[in-house]
Amino acid sequence: MIRVGNASGFYGDRATAWQEMLDGGPLDVLTGDYLAELTMLILAKDRMKDPGTGYAKTFLRQLEGFLQTARDQGTKIVTNAGGLNPAGLRKAIEAVAPGVKVAHVEGDAIAPNANAYLGAFGIAECLKAGADVVVTGRVTDASLVVGPGIARYGWTPGDLDALAGATVAGHILECGAQATGGNYSFFTEIPDLDHAGFPIAELHGDGSSVITKHPGTGGAVTVDTVTAQLLYEIGAPEYLGPDVTTHFDTIRLTQLGQDRVEVTGVKGSPPPDTLKVGTIALGGFRNSMTFVLCGLRIEEKAALVERQLRRRLDHPMEFTLARTDHPDADDEQRASALLAVHIKSTDQKAAGRAFSQAAVELALASYPGLTLTGPPGDATPFGVFSAGSVPRGEVPHVAVLPDGSTVEVR
Amino acid sequence: MRVPLGTLFGARSGDKGGDANIGVWARSDEAYAWLRATLTEDLLKTLLPEVRDVSRYELPNLRALNFVVRGILGDGVAASTRFDPQGKALGEWLRSRVVDIPNELLP
Repeated sequence: MIRVGNASGFYGDRATAWQEMLDGGPLDVLTGDYLAELTMLILAKDRMKDPGTGYAKTFLRQLEGFLQTARDQGTKIVTNAGGLNPAGLRKAIEAVAPGVKVAHVEGDAIAPNANAYLGAFGIAECLKAGADVVVTGRVTDASLVVGPGIARYGWTPGDLDALAGATVAGHILECGAQATGGNYSFFTEIPDLDHAGFPIAELHGDGSSVITKHPGTGGAVTVDTVTAQLLYEIGAPEYLGPDVTTHFDTIRLTQLGQDRVEVTGVKGSPPPDTLKVGTIALGGFRNSMTFVLCGLRIEEKAALVERQLRRRLDHPMEFTLARTDHPDADDEQRASALLAVHIKSTDQKAAGRAFSQAAVELALASYPGLTLTGPPGDATPFGVFSAGSVPRGEVPHVAVLPDGSTVEVR
Repeated sequence: MRVPLGTLFGARSGDKGGDANIGVWARSDEAYAWLRATLTEDLLKTLLPEVRDVSRYELPNLRALNFVVRGILGDGVAASTRFDPQGKALGEWLRSRVVDIPNELLP
C-alpha cells in the first residue's frame, strides 16, 4: 500500500497545507493540484508580462518552507504547478534547492495557447528515476495520484481496472478539502469544520483505495463526503481520460471506520484515441459597476439607470438586478437591492474608464440615494477557454529525468 | 409534504467551460428510488428556470443523479458575467427549492 496525500485543490488553496500534511503523519507521496481552467488563463497573463514565468509561483514559496521536512521523511512531491512552463519551475526549484532531485513532464503545450491533457505515465517515469520532486504542466488532475501508483506497482497501459481505480482515488483527492467535508451540503453534521484536514488515499496494487485523513484534523471522511466529491465536475458515467475510461457507475464505497472509506469495484476500459485539449484565447475586455438601490420603487430606479447609461454609451451592456431588498426593513443593507452593470468589448477603452466614468457621472443626476459599491476602474482582459481534441500520436509526452535525460512515453 | 429538496438530498455543482454539472445524491435506497422517478430533466428545468439544455445520467451505485447543464455559464468562468460564474452554488439553489416529498421518506 502507498499513502498519497493532497495539499492543494487549486491555485490559491491554503498556503500552510503542505506543511500540515507532512507534519500530520507518514506519507509516501504528497500531491498538489493547481490547474483549473481559470488558472491557465491567469498563468497565460503572467507569461505575457514575463516569459520566464507561467507556473504557480506560490508553490515555489511553499516548497522552500516544507522541502526539508519532505526530504527528512522521504515523501515525494508531485504537482502540476508547472502550468504553462514546467521546465521554468524545475529550474527555479533547482536554483533554490540545490541537491534536490527534480524532474518534470513536458509535451502538453502543443501550441502557444493550447495544452493537451497528458496522462500519468510520464510522472511514473520521473518517480522511477528517483526524483524527489516532480513538476508537470497540463496533466489530468487525477494523474497526480495515478502516476505514483504506476511507479510503485508497475501497472502497464493494459491494467485498465487498476488505472481506473487509481483515477477515482485521484478524482476524490484533486479538490483537497472538498473530500473531507468542505463545500458539503450537510455541513452542519460535520463536528469540526473550522480547519478541515486534507485527504489521503491509501492506494493498493489492484487500484482500490481507502480514503482517509490525518488523525486529529478537522472535517470528516464519510461515504457522503466522498460521494459529494465524486459528483464534482463530471459528465456521463464513462469518465474519459488519457490512460483509461473510468466507469463511475461501478464505484463501490464502504465506510470501514471513522474517517475511512473504501473505494472498490472500479472498472476501466480503453481510453479514446484522442487527448482533450484546452485552448485559451483573449476574449476581450470587461468591466462592471454595481449600483445600490435602496427603499421604494426599486424597479423604476433600475430602469432609470439603464436608460441613462444606454443613452450615453453605444455599447452592449448587461444589467442584472438582485432584489436583496426587503420592505419596511430596519437595516439599510436589508432595504437595498443591487444593480450590476457589465460591459464586455474588444475595445479596451470603451470597456475602461469610458464605461465606469459614465456610471459615476450619474451620481447627482439620477435616482434618489444613488451610491456605488466601488470606485470606477479600468477594464480587465478576459480569456475564453475552449475544449477540443487531438489525435494521441500528435502529442509528445516526455519525462525529463533528474539527470537531464529524457524518456518519451508511448 | 412540501419541503426543500435539500431536506433529504445533497448536491454538488461546478463548471466545465460554459457548461455546469449538478450532482444530486440520496442517503437511502428509498429516497433514491423517489429521486430517480421524480427529478426528471423537465422538473429540473421547472425548479431552475435558468436551465434550458440538460442531460440526466444515473449512478445507482452512488444513489445519485448527475445533470449536465449546457451553456449556462456562457463562454466559461473567466468570461461569464453570471452572478455565480463557476456554477458553484447551483446545487445549493436546487436544494432550496420546495417540492412535494412523501411523508414516509421524511425524518
